[in-house]
This record gives sequence, C-alpha cells and structure tokens, in this order.
Amino acid sequence: MTTIVSINDLTYAYPPVEPEADPAPVLQGVSLSLERGACLVLLGPTGAGKSTLCLSLNGTIPHLLGGTFSGSVSIAGLDTLGTKPGELSHAVGLVFQDPESQLFTMSVADEVAFGPEGLALPSHEIEERVQESLATLGIAHLCERSPLELSGGEQQRVALAAALALRPQVLVLDEPTASLDPLGKRSVLEAIKQLRDQMGMTILWVTQDIDAVPHLADRVAVLVDGRIVLEGVPSHVLQQRNSLERWGLRAPQILDLAARFNEHWGTNYAWLTVDKAQQALEQRMTERRG
Amino acid sequence: MAFVFASFALLLLNDQPLLMLGYLLATHAVLRTAGIPWSRIGWLWRRMWAVSLTILLLWPLFYAVGEPVLIEWWRIRVTLPSLLEGLTSALRVDALAFAVFVLLVSTDQTRLVQGLVKLGLPFEWGLSIAIALRYLPLLDGTYQTITDAQRARGWSPERSTLFERARAYVPTLVALVIAALRLSDSLTRALAARGFRPGHPRTSRRPLHMQRGDWFALAVSVVLLATAILLRYVEL
Amino acid sequence: MADAALELLNCSYHYPGGVRALEGVTCLVERGSWTALVGQNGSGKSTLAKLCNGLLRPQEGQVRVMGDPVGDRSVGDMARHVGYLFQNPDHQLFASTVRDEIKFGLRNLGFAPADREERLREALTAFGLDAYVDHPPAVLGFGLRRQVTLASLFALRPPVLILDEPTTGLDWGRATLVLERLRALQLRGHTIVFITHQMALVADWADRVLVLHRGQLLADGHPGSIFARTDVMEQASLAPPPITELAQRLSHIGLPSDATNVDALLRSYIALLPQAEEEAS
Repeated sequence: MTTIVSINDLTYAYPPVEPEADPAPVLQGVSLSLERGACLVLLGPTGAGKSTLCLSLNGTIPHLLGGTFSGSVSIAGLDTLGTKPGELSHAVGLVFQDPESQLFTMSVADEVAFGPEGLALPSHEIEERVQESLATLGIAHLCERSPLELSGGEQQRVALAAALALRPQVLVLDEPTASLDPLGKRSVLEAIKQLRDQMGMTILWVTQDIDAVPHLADRVAVLVDGRIVLEGVPSHVLQQRNSLERWGLRAPQILDLAARFNEHWGTNYAWLTVDKAQQALEQRMTERRG
Repeated sequence: MAFVFASFALLLLNDQPLLMLGYLLATHAVLRTAGIPWSRIGWLWRRMWAVSLTILLLWPLFYAVGEPVLIEWWRIRVTLPSLLEGLTSALRVDALAFAVFVLLVSTDQTRLVQGLVKLGLPFEWGLSIAIALRYLPLLDGTYQTITDAQRARGWSPERSTLFERARAYVPTLVALVIAALRLSDSLTRALAARGFRPGHPRTSRRPLHMQRGDWFALAVSVVLLATAILLRYVEL
Repeated sequence: MADAALELLNCSYHYPGGVRALEGVTCLVERGSWTALVGQNGSGKSTLAKLCNGLLRPQEGQVRVMGDPVGDRSVGDMARHVGYLFQNPDHQLFASTVRDEIKFGLRNLGFAPADREERLREALTAFGLDAYVDHPPAVLGFGLRRQVTLASLFALRPPVLILDEPTTGLDWGRATLVLERLRALQLRGHTIVFITHQMALVADWADRVLVLHRGQLLADGHPGSIFARTDVMEQASLAPPPITELAQRLSHIGLPSDATNVDALLRSYIALLPQAEEEAS
C-alpha cells in the first residue's frame, strides 16, 4: 500500500481581514494520510475547516490565498509549499459544491478541454482526453451541450470529467452533492463509486450526506475546530453516536440501528448497507421464531 | 472579425447617408437570411432609437452650416446640409451597432474569444470577456432573486421622489455586488483547480484555422475597405 | 375554511418562456401544521411556495392566505402574513451589521422602535447570534449567514413561514437547532411550510408532506404513509430514508412499513420477537 497523500501537522490561518488582527488558525496540527486507491471521507460540522483542508491539497493554500502556513502537505511526492499550483493540478483534481460557479465555458467539451489546453498539449491529444473523460463519466452524449442547460447531476459529472482530464492521482471532492436534488445526488454518488471501483482513483470526499458514507468510504476522519478528532474505518467511527452528536454530526441510520441493536443484545453488528441489515434481521427473526 | 474592422473603416471614413442606409439594409438582409427573428432585431433597435433620434435632432442645432436654411426661429437655425449630416451620423451609429451585432450573432463565444486572442489580445483578457458573457444571465437571475427576497421582507421601493427611490435600491444593489464578489472568488478557485496559469502558453482543442469561408469573408472585407478608401478620395 | 393557513384552488402557473411549472394544484395547509414540500428540482416546489406570498401570480386558480385571497396584494403587503426564506442566504444579505440586517424587515413592516428592539433581542438569542450582533453578515461563515437570514425572518413573526431548504449545507447539529426553533414557533401557533430534499428530516419533523412531480401534486399525507407508497416515491424519483426502506423490506416478517426513525423500527422489531427472547435479555 503506497501512501499518496501525506498531511503532516498542518496549521493554517487565513490572512487577516483587518491589518492588525491576528486571526485564529482554521487548521491546527492536522495530520492525515491517504493510501492509493482508497476513499477517505472527511466529516465535520460547518466551519470546521474542511474546505480549507481541500484547498490546501491543490496548492491554492498557501499560494493563491496567502495566510500563515506551517507543517507540510505532500501529494504523490510533490510538496505543496515548494510546488507551483499549476503543477499540482496534474496531481490533484478538485471539485466544488456549486456547479454554476465552477463550469465557466459555454460547452461541455470546452469545459473539459480547459485543463489540458492549459498544459499546452497538441489539440489531438486534448480531444482524446476530452472524449476519454466524458466516456468515463458516461456523459459523452452531452459533448456539445451548454453546461447551463444540464441538470445538477449532469453538471457535477461535467465538473468531475473536467478534473479528470488533467489525469490527477487524487480527486478531492468538496461536498459535491450538497446543492443537488435526490436524483442528482444519486447520479454523482454512482459516479464516485465508479471512479473508485473501476478506475482505482484515490478520493478524499467531504460530505454532510452521512447515509451515503458507509457504502463508499474505506476510511472516515472527523475534523472539528481544525483538528482531527477521530479517524478509522467507517464501522468504528460512525458508531460513536455520543461523540458524533457532541460534534454536531449524526450517525448513518443503518449503522445507528446496528449500534442500538448491539447495546440491547450485546451483539457486534456493523451494517453498512440496508441489504446487510435486512439479512441479519431476517435471519435473527427466523432463528427466534423457528 | 476582419469583416467588422473593414465595416468600421467603411462607415467611419464616409459621409454618405445613402451608404449608411444601404449598409443597414444589407445587414438586415444578412441577419434575416441567417434566420434571426425580427424580435431580436427589434431588441437592438429598441436600444438604438433613442440614441439615433437624439443625434438626429441635436446635430443640426449645434452645427448649422450651409444652405438652404429650413427653419429660422430666434437663435435656432436648421439647414438642410446639417440635417443630412445629422441623419448620416445617426445612421452611422446604427450601422456600426448592427455590424457588431452581426458579428456577435454569427460567432460562438469561444470563437469570438479565440479571434480576439489571435489578433493579439492576451488570453486572460479574452477569458475574462468570455466569462463575463457567460455569467450575465446568472447575475441577472441573481438580481431577480435578490429583489424577490427583499420584497418578501417588506421592501417596497416605490417612492415619491427619484432620489428616495434610488436610495431604496441600495440594499438590493449591495447584495448583488456581494454576490458577484463571491462568484468571482469561486471562479478563481475553480480556475486554479483546473491548472490555469496566466501567462503560460496554451493550445486549443479547436484551433482557429482559416477555412474557405474565412478567406471569402476576408476577401469581401478587403473589397469593402478598398471601396471605402476609394470613395473617400474620389469624393475629394 | 377558518383553519386553513394556505389554500390553493386548482392553481396553474407557467413561466414567461412557456415552461409549465404547476398544473391544476389544489391543496390545503392547516393552521399550526408543519408541511413539507418535496420533489425533484423543477417539480414545482418553489413555484407553489412563491404563489403563497404573491411573488408569482397563478394564471389559473386562486390562492388564499388565512382565508383571504391573495388577489393583487403586493409582496410587501403579504410579507406581514407570509414570511419567505430563500434558499441562498447570500441572495439577501447586504447590511453592515447583523443588527441592521435583522432590523431591515422590521422597519419595512413598520414596527415601533421599542417593538423592534424586543424582536431583535429575541431573534438574536433564538439563533445564537448575540456574539455577532455588530459583525457584518457577509464575512461570517455560511452556517452563521444562514442563521442571520433565519433570525431576520423570525423577528417578523409572520403567521405563516415558508422556508426553501433552510437546512441544506448545515451540519446536523445546526440543522437541529434551526428545526427546534421552528418547532417552538409552531407550538406558538405559526404554520410552517418546509421545502427540502432530506427525507430523514421530513420523517422526523413534518406533520404532512406534499409530493410534487412535473408540476402536479402526486400525494398529500402523513410522511410515514407517503414513504410507504413505493409507486408515488418512484414516480417522483424520491427515496425514503434508509430506515424506512429497511422497514419496507422487512414488512414480510410483520414489521410495519412506515417506521421513520431508528427508535420506531427497533421497538417494532422487539415487539415482534417471541416473548421468551425478550425476557432472556
């Protein structure tokens, strides 16, 4: 297992709004690592610093936004402090929550081509990458359409394709489903699953959509007030009901049910999906009745 | 692109009202052939008529020269030549507007920006223009939502004086400016995430190559330009 | 009807471009109830909501608020009776302090100065904004900005509150705080209309849910029973909360299929187990 993302003791404060002010650090001593091909879900209350952490992964912090930065972030061997953001974008793709403000061209193809064009690749290679990325996301048929006409789910798929066109090693997704309706959410979650399973993409995924997490996460980390307070496998982290509540989060319903079941009957269940829960509950009922 | 520049040259170097009129008729013909509905043409006229009329009326009042004098009343003198000049200027402005209109209507946004960049505009400027065009509808929608939201809080800008009315719009406009600033912040991050490096050389997925149609248009433009220059000097 | 807060009678609306947003919708929202409006984007939820305070006028049908037709009363006038919270807090924040932002609505509706102060205080405390009263709303974090717009609406205390996705983008803790404040208002007699995509929320907080699909009202009833109707849910492309889905799948062993939260399902399950099992644990 190779570690592809390595965050070490990262402490960061945004530049002060008033010249004399000394703003509190948004991230305090964050250390986190991500293995190649794994999907790490980052949870945390609003304002915990999750978006700040995402921006630290592609060099926007500290290069574009300034501020006070200490510690280190390294992606596929590249140190973000020492590498220009332009070069980091080959390694890290970042997709944001709002489709409207991250799709800025008038055609899907142009949108996906924007990244490769910036790499000054020959136009036939650009076209190749565009077709490849669109096919991976299952949106080749949207090639000539304007992003303005698409549904939320389709727009986020375009955003994912645009990030993929740079052939990154890691995809960072900052609440990509938050602005979408249920169909859109489902569409994007399927896309994420596909990217992880079929492409072996390494993913850092920030979300508030807790019920979707057990299906997709290999590991879960919780960020509160700029610190990582808990990290581990989903079945462990997401059953810490009391802690999660204290931090302003809730457990996924099915895992929560498993936890309560365990409390009641002393069992050791950790159902990640409705299927698993159904099987276990049916079996138990049959045993008891039979 | 070249077409527009040639047109500009033609229109600016000349003083014949009939030429302006002819040009206007020509552009309308082009637009109609391209399938542009009258409603869109009307859209431009609605914005132009006030300007044109103003020019037409004010020109003779300020530049009364020559004979014959049509109206003489107190200190106002309106002469036929200056009336014609006013007409020419008004029509020229309209013709120029329509020349640009033809360009915008016939070119897709990407091509437009590419064309400008090929002519030497830095890519960043071209991108800014392209992005501005793309986000205009969004900001319009945002403004609509903002006025709705403020109305839902009891805001009624209908006031007695113009001044009070303008003041009443401040909350809406401030909210719009803040929203626009937030948008630009998000866009910066999105551009950075796609590896945008200002100043670095870029290639294009659809490079702008001169095709047969383009050569033809260029030829037409050259002819127009030549005619313009000839007419000017023949006049003299 | 005396106890209807909102009434839509065969309302249809189409946007200037021709998009038909609502077709022949008839529904009634009772005073003091909490109604959730659900459906995909484009199903007509926001359109329906905007008919209730005059932001949009139906081409067909009639809208009544507290028994009186909306007619051609202006939105500003309607603001006294129907409060509307827009989805994006950044589409209204403009003031240089949180205090001024909240007072904006109060001034517009003509409340007396002493009244304004009292309402301001109450709103600030209800939404945990006391510490931020002199801060510019625009520089606060998203969660706080959302709380400011909620506080601004809360201060007006309109009898009917329509909220367009007020908890989207908030963590569960903050969302719960907001929901509790709204519940407190409901207990004081206010009517809550809540647009959301989060079914778990609907299950736990709403008395009734209206399901919209392509401009038509597909279903209208108690969340538990609506979620159990798989035909409706599928047509509207909605999925019940995972716990309800589990309950539905276990209905063949006798579990009621309208369980909407973890406790309910667990209790039902325990009740189904043979008695001996229960005594043993």
